[in-house]
Amino acid sequence: MKFLISLAFKNLTRYRRRTLITAGAIAIGIMMFIMVDSMLRGAEYESVRNLKWYETASARIYNSEYWEKRYQMPLDINIPDYKEKVQKLEKNGYKVTPRISFSGELILNVIDFGEDGSMSIKVTAIDPQKDSDVFHFNDTLVEGRFLKPGEDGILIGSWLAEDIGAKIGAWVTIVTRGNGGFYQSMDLEIVGILNCPNPIVNRNLLMMPISTASDYLEMEGAATEINIKLTDNANVKAETAVIKSLIGNNNLSVYSWEDLAFDFLAVLEADRGGSNMILILIFIIAAVGISNTMLMAIFERTRELGMMRTLGMSDSAIRLTFMFEAMGIGIIGSIMGVILGICINFYVVNVGFDFGFMLRDIDIGYRIQSVMRGAWNFDTAVIAFFAGIIITTIVALLPTRRALRMDIPSCLRS
Amino acid sequence: MIKIDKVIKNYQNGETEVKALRGVSLEIQKGEFTSIAGPSGSGKTTLLNLIGCIDKLDLGEISIKGEKVSSMNKKEKTSFRRQNLGFIFQTYNLIPVLSAYENVAFVLSLLDVSEKDVHTRTMNVLKEVGLEGMEDRKPAKLSGGQQQRVAIARALVKDPEIVLADEPTANLDSTTGEDILKLMKSMNEKLGTTFIFSTHDPMVMDYAGRIVLLHDGLIKSDKNRR
Repeated sequence: MKFLISLAFKNLTRYRRRTLITAGAIAIGIMMFIMVDSMLRGAEYESVRNLKWYETASARIYNSEYWEKRYQMPLDINIPDYKEKVQKLEKNGYKVTPRISFSGELILNVIDFGEDGSMSIKVTAIDPQKDSDVFHFNDTLVEGRFLKPGEDGILIGSWLAEDIGAKIGAWVTIVTRGNGGFYQSMDLEIVGILNCPNPIVNRNLLMMPISTASDYLEMEGAATEINIKLTDNANVKAETAVIKSLIGNNNLSVYSWEDLAFDFLAVLEADRGGSNMILILIFIIAAVGISNTMLMAIFERTRELGMMRTLGMSDSAIRLTFMFEAMGIGIIGSIMGVILGICINFYVVNVGFDFGFMLRDIDIGYRIQSVMRGAWNFDTAVIAFFAGIIITTIVALLPTRRALRMDIPSCLRS
Repeated sequence: MIKIDKVIKNYQNGETEVKALRGVSLEIQKGEFTSIAGPSGSGKTTLLNLIGCIDKLDLGEISIKGEKVSSMNKKEKTSFRRQNLGFIFQTYNLIPVLSAYENVAFVLSLLDVSEKDVHTRTMNVLKEVGLEGMEDRKPAKLSGGQQQRVAIARALVKDPEIVLADEPTANLDSTTGEDILKLMKSMNEKLGTTFIFSTHDPMVMDYAGRIVLLHDGLIKSDKNRR
């Protein structure tokens, strides 16, 4: 065995350039594996964070009947006297904020927008003083100022602002139906532009003060939802049960962010499947490279192989020699790949890649607006390292088996 | 020691069937220094391959040391070769990444020999073939004659009773070739090892104690020159 290992490693130095090129192919495969995995994990982590920070919060209370009709955003299926519930939850240490969500028509005028027009919109009425307890919109302001309670002002997402040519100080009209079905129109001044890292939100974001919306829509102290922030390590299921018992109202239901973002999670699952396919492809490409190298190495040494077999070396010992040789390439490639992967991951984690040009117009499911950053995962490096060695070693079996099928006189004649 | 009985071996070369051996019968005794001679295509290498258990015969029987090697399976033949036969090739077939010492010791690593014994036996045999002091040289740093000496050492290191050599001097100049033959002859006389070598070179045949002349797959003559 010692001799076989020694022979295998000496053979590695025989064609140094080829060994290095093949190890390089494995290294690139492993580096790609580490990088792609890091980016996927980073994208997943950032998406979940952006989802909770700008879209779903950690959990949300709705009227029990609201869930079925949530896409129509009915104002009459609401949480009455929301302030009482908010206070109760706050007393118990929860960070909460009420919201009213409604749909309407945004009317654009020729003076401020260059031409007359309208578009369907979704408006979120927030409590400017409490919203930042749960969401993080305050940090995303790029122009103007944040909302003040009771004002006829509105905040707009930067992408939506770009699309309609909105400027600070411009006036928009929102036509909607109030609580009870009456028509209502509101003239609101754009007071701020937010650049929200969540692209879905940034594409459609319109926010106004809850007190203003409440007056216009005649909500009579009702909100359509109460959003709750939980700590990162909270057990969301357990917490939602506690919240449910605290609000003590059978007409209200508590939904976790996973319930609210089930469509995102389904896309994520599909993306994971696709990404795993990419990772498998990377390894198949590396494996084909190794197989080719081993095939060349074995066929160049057919006569040597014939000599070894003539002198009484068993097929299994020959197979082991080539497997050790491939393992050697695998070890070199895996070490190089892990080092390269860690180096490139420093860049991916700290700087990332800007996909803003693509994500601006295409929704890929991830809640990332432009820069995709990676995340460290020690397990991936370990898996990639051992997978590189194991796959390389196994792949060498096929060409060896082929060479061993040749009869000895043919090997010696070659 | 070696009994070859009515051996027939045919090859398929494309659509043509080549009758390499057409009923060869031969007996070789222990300690003989036998040359299988004949022109190209006469069946010399085929006969050596069959005696060396690296090829299958179509008909007939070969026994070595009383064992019917022709009816052994692949594993048994491998084991038999490992234990009993030494081989010398025309093109030396040394492993280029190994030193002269390692090329010889390689054969012992296939057998159950202790590391200490491997060292002693390898050094002794290298000394016997005149390569003392060159143990660490890789084949590329050795001349053709020296490489063939390493190959002879490799064949002899396990003390086989039979050494088969296929045109051992064909790649060497006449002086070096003669040196190699003298070495083989001296080993044959000193150790009593049976040597069977193929050649078509009359100078090489001169060294043989017995010349078996093949022609078109048949034994044309069998002369004992002792």
